[in-house]
Amino acid sequence: MSAEAVIGEPEIVALVRERLPDIPFEFSETKTYADLRVAPEHLLALVTGLREDPELSFDLLRNIVAMDMEEDGLEAKYQLYSFRHGHALQLTAPAPIPSCELPSITGLYPAANWHEREAAEMVGLVFTGHPDPRNLLLEEDLRIHPLRKAHPLQKAEILQGIEDGPPGVEV
Amino acid sequence: MSVWPEERVTTAEGDLDTVDMTVNVGPQHPATHGVFRMVLTVDGELVVDCEPYIGYLHRGLEKLSENADYRQAMGWWDRTDYLAGMCCEGAYTMAVEKLAGIEVPERAEYIRVIMMELSRINSHFMFLGAFGADVGSFGTSFVYAWRERERIYDLFEEVAGDRMFPTYFRIGGVTMDLPDNFESRCRWVLSSIRQGLEDFDGLLTGNEVFVERCKDLTPVTPEQAIAWGFTGPMLRATGVPWDIRKAEPYSVYPELDFEIPVGLQGDVFDRFHVRLAECYQSVRIIEQCLEQMPEGRVLAPKLPKTLRINEGEIYMPTEGTKGEYGVYMMARGGTQPYRAKLRSPSFCNLSALKELVVGSYVADAIIILGSLDIVLGEVDK
Repeated sequence: MSAEAVIGEPEIVALVRERLPDIPFEFSETKTYADLRVAPEHLLALVTGLREDPELSFDLLRNIVAMDMEEDGLEAKYQLYSFRHGHALQLTAPAPIPSCELPSITGLYPAANWHEREAAEMVGLVFTGHPDPRNLLLEEDLRIHPLRKAHPLQKAEILQGIEDGPPGVEV
Repeated sequence: MSVWPEERVTTAEGDLDTVDMTVNVGPQHPATHGVFRMVLTVDGELVVDCEPYIGYLHRGLEKLSENADYRQAMGWWDRTDYLAGMCCEGAYTMAVEKLAGIEVPERAEYIRVIMMELSRINSHFMFLGAFGADVGSFGTSFVYAWRERERIYDLFEEVAGDRMFPTYFRIGGVTMDLPDNFESRCRWVLSSIRQGLEDFDGLLTGNEVFVERCKDLTPVTPEQAIAWGFTGPMLRATGVPWDIRKAEPYSVYPELDFEIPVGLQGDVFDRFHVRLAECYQSVRIIEQCLEQMPEGRVLAPKLPKTLRINEGEIYMPTEGTKGEYGVYMMARGGTQPYRAKLRSPSFCNLSALKELVVGSYVADAIIILGSLDIVLGEVDK
């Protein structure tokens, strides 16, 4: 990757390119923050770089969003913020099918612990190296992923036998 | 032999073998402030392990939002942080408006800020009352809090027609304009709130027993707080002056003058005191809004009957009452969001509970949980 700034890129993206030249990512814009799309094998290196580099120093993990992109597989989005510099970023990491695995970043950000547990149960992502991969919001022995797009809205009622519905999609 | 636990431990040294006991607290327990359950492992009076269990109030907010209209879903977002419904409505509507590129009239922005700050005071009063009860002033602090909250809810009812879940905000503004007597009514409520805050200050900050129990209890350093993902009063109690209303301002907050109260060492007392001081700042904000509020529309004109958003994603952070209340939303065409996700501040603050309570007494564990100011509707989504 070249360290040259691409026209139309926000400063923060150019800064990441300059400070972490070895890590390939694709830039896109959201309505608030820049989004960096990174392959799962580079995710840990990128997050470590963003956290440790003094010019970047993203020290707060705000949020992790688990996404089911249907035919494009699963994705996780990470929102990061830096208190020292006051800048923010979003990372997107696609989880390859069929393993749906992503490296856990709980070792870097303790705050990621519950976010990753939630992401894992809700769409079925697997965070390798997570210290406590149990269900968090759902019943402990429930193995459904309700935020998958294939999961019908009223599956829970069907499971409880409250309502007879069409046969649910097995997830 | 003394009955004090620390002395008993010293006499039992050596030849006495003690067994850890497991104590289940919740989910139906008044000290957990909602349907929250924690399993404490205790050695005598000391907590040696804590396992929090959440999800008892999980209603599938995100799945529901993905299966409803942008406008329909708003009523459910009210019910996340149900002590400050308007703040949640504000975050949700702002996320949708930014995603769709809708401009909000200035008067509506001012009305929203008034409502959000009243909600913040309301939520902080709930904290002050319940926390005072946790520490031991049961009854008095609750009644002090309820008196003011009742007045705020009455005002909400006059404005929006409902008390707890007003669904007053609309995408593009607010439902209806303020009633004619709003300013005088609001000023009266504010003076009552000021009095209520003074009462709390006298009842709790001036109470030696209260201060003794809260001072130096689980101090948190700024580094720890950031690593655990603390935001809002929990972070500001450690001395970090970070407030999204200042750091990444939204709505009309840049035009308003207010301070960010911070604590010294992030202990339980600081968490209490930051919230008390924040209420005064919220009163200041509302007073400025009443003075600066322009006349005009309260809802953007020419809004589409059915809101369709083609493409785009947004993470909209707002300063909720408990911390950073962020709404992530992705649109891929159609009338429904493809994905809606709540970044709930209570959820993140609560995730560090184990680190906070291990090593303290059981009675203090209850206070520490109270000082987090969780609201389970928001934790469980």
